[in-house]
Amino acid sequence: MSVEAEALDVEPLFRLHYARIARMIARMVRDRARAEELAVEVFLKLWRKGTKDMHCVEAWIYRVALRAGLDELRRQVRRARYEGLLEWMHLERQPATPEELRRNCEVADRVRAVLSRIPVKQAQLLLLRSEGWSYAELAATLRWNPASVGTTLKRAQEAFRKEYIERYGQP
Amino acid sequence: MANHEARTTHSVDEQLRALQGGDEWQPDVRAALGRFLEKRREPRWAWRRWAMAGTLATAACLLAMLLPSPQVLAHRCLECSAAVWRSLSGQSQMTRKLPGETAPDFALTDANGKQVRVSELKGKVVLVNFWATWCEGCQEEIPWFVEFSRRYADQGLVVVGVSMDSDGWNKVRPWIRDKGVNYTVVIGSQELAEEYGLDGMPLTALVARDGKVASAYAGVVDRAATEQKIRELLGERR
Repeated sequence: MSVEAEALDVEPLFRLHYARIARMIARMVRDRARAEELAVEVFLKLWRKGTKDMHCVEAWIYRVALRAGLDELRRQVRRARYEGLLEWMHLERQPATPEELRRNCEVADRVRAVLSRIPVKQAQLLLLRSEGWSYAELAATLRWNPASVGTTLKRAQEAFRKEYIERYGQP
Repeated sequence: MANHEARTTHSVDEQLRALQGGDEWQPDVRAALGRFLEKRREPRWAWRRWAMAGTLATAACLLAMLLPSPQVLAHRCLECSAAVWRSLSGQSQMTRKLPGETAPDFALTDANGKQVRVSELKGKVVLVNFWATWCEGCQEEIPWFVEFSRRYADQGLVVVGVSMDSDGWNKVRPWIRDKGVNYTVVIGSQELAEEYGLDGMPLTALVARDGKVASAYAGVVDRAATEQKIRELLGERR
């Protein structure tokens, strides 16, 4: 498959899904510029992989995007933890800006922190479900048995709730 | 139970809804597509990473080859492999280099400090065996040589074991004591090994009474054939 032929396949998909993918990643990582970078990376991965043997390209794109977003979220949480450690050790660190202080109080940041701590598959499921995906769509995208989506979703919600309470108390 | 589940679902849905704040955001697809096409033209970092990893691995291998310990290990592995291959492909092979030639001489000291010279053993039948404590094939045939020595020494057979252990007597002396080796053992050198054409352990040469090599075998010898040859050289025929 030549580069030109692959470009013809990927570009329409890019135009169709890019905005939604970037928004989905932005919900996870908060930083829109970074979300756009990651979304472009998803399509670069698709281009490198080629589409020949892929059964469902759309499902693949969303799986990879979710994974990329969650990986970035975990990196951000780790970075924040190290920064907290540096602060504790009285090493040089920029003082928190009013914007940072405001953001830390936001529910969204708490939700992101909790999502970064529960198992990736559960986080993926909760994120897609929160965007209104049906059980059938979830099963197709995450390559699960449709019959098990409901049970897995319940477990994911329970894991999320427990982690949230453990970190922040009752909402 | 059902109430608890419903409450959990509702509460988690509520919390996750906090992430939906950016729905009004419209990323610039055209600009992003431009970046995508630009990045697609860039050389792939994956190749560079692999090239870097390959370079580092090669450098590590070269470094390891320069160090003495890995060199010895590699040498032993090669010799063992050669010995295993020979034993699998028909016991032993007669080497073409030595037979008919005067046995390469050496002057080495045995475990008791006594000098051993092949040239001084003229008039005797000498079995020279190159071996090492780590060589599996050698350990198989050494008891046969012990038996030959015990049986034919009074008829003029001298068995000389040339150990190629790099650790020298520290390793060899206790080993030959434990295994009850009853014949002369010396520590060989790389030069001597080359003179005998040693390219894998074990190697056994039979030197006739006239000082010429009657036969030489690379690999584990055929016990019966070797014994028969010793008898022939000693002048004893069945």
